Amino acid sequence: MQNKLSDTVLIDQTLAGNQSAYAELVKRHQRFVFTLALRFVKKREDAEEIAQDCFVKAYRSLNQFQHQSKFSTWLYTIVYTTAMSSLRKKQLDISSIDDEKNTIQIEAFSTGYEMNNVEKKSRSFYLNEAISQLLPDDAVIITLFYKGEQSIDEIATTLNIEKNSVKVKLFRARQRLKEKLEHILKHEVKELI
Amino acid sequence: MNNIEEKIWAYIDGSCSEEEALAINLLIEQDVNYQKIYDEIVTLNERLSSLELDEPSMAFTYNVLENIRNENAKQPLKTTINTAVIKGIAAFFLVTILALLILVVINIDWSTNTTNNYTLPKLNLLSDSVLKGCMFLDIMLGAFLADTFLRRKDTLKHI
Repeated sequence: MQNKLSDTVLIDQTLAGNQSAYAELVKRHQRFVFTLALRFVKKREDAEEIAQDCFVKAYRSLNQFQHQSKFSTWLYTIVYTTAMSSLRKKQLDISSIDDEKNTIQIEAFSTGYEMNNVEKKSRSFYLNEAISQLLPDDAVIITLFYKGEQSIDEIATTLNIEKNSVKVKLFRARQRLKEKLEHILKHEVKELI
Repeated sequence: MNNIEEKIWAYIDGSCSEEEALAINLLIEQDVNYQKIYDEIVTLNERLSSLELDEPSMAFTYNVLENIRNENAKQPLKTTINTAVIKGIAAFFLVTILALLILVVINIDWSTNTTNNYTLPKLNLLSDSVLKGCMFLDIMLGAFLADTFLRRKDTLKHI
């Protein structure tokens, strides 16, 4: 069985002109990059476009990667900046808990929830639903911490903020997530958490 | 730290000091309210850790590589033709010509030159056709090697 090559080896091979090594790097990180992009935009097509753009940018700047941090940390920095500028450019509608539109959606969602069986919906579904209703910054910090295997220090590097700010932001994001879950699931939240 | 939840999150994340951790641990064991909040937070933490990542489309990797190829292809001819390659080849030819001239001057038999009956200097090298063949081969090989070397350097620089 072939051993899994490290990111560093794959980067070196890519720099030597081996494009299939870069394809391997893309395959390795695409799910997380795509998930992270989905925290900024609601449509899967938009998220996929951003994720692809990030990998193209990373390829172009690969010779500037200094190996001082993990490749994933460096890549997530690109994702964060690309997604943020994409948001600014397209002026996409970012929903927040206070949006009138969003409240209607939540109410409709809750009604549907009460009518249907709880068992049919997985816990992940509701968690993802709650995360998708958070502000991008909150959703990103939660995703980086739980799914990106990033430490507080690495998240600070990715988001270009202080370590203590990351701690505060993470705490607030989790609080807001809990509130969202309580809003969506009402009394049934206790079954989830 | 301001409230119970913030303390418990810090305790779970391991971001508080040892003393703080011990104090929070004691509170969780002794205080029912702390215990309740701790259980809730631990469950939420576990649920978040077990979240699945979203999957992009099947053609994602292919599309990324296609975008990279298209981007390289879209570059105007001016940027794809590196002037260093042209300069390198020109320098190679100049050096070759200069070396040939030096070789010719060194090998000229000046003794055959007379004032009354001038004859062209004789070259004491290989036969003419063999020499031409070798020279042509050398030049072609040299040009090919120079081009390969310079292009490789250029590719690495532009990745």
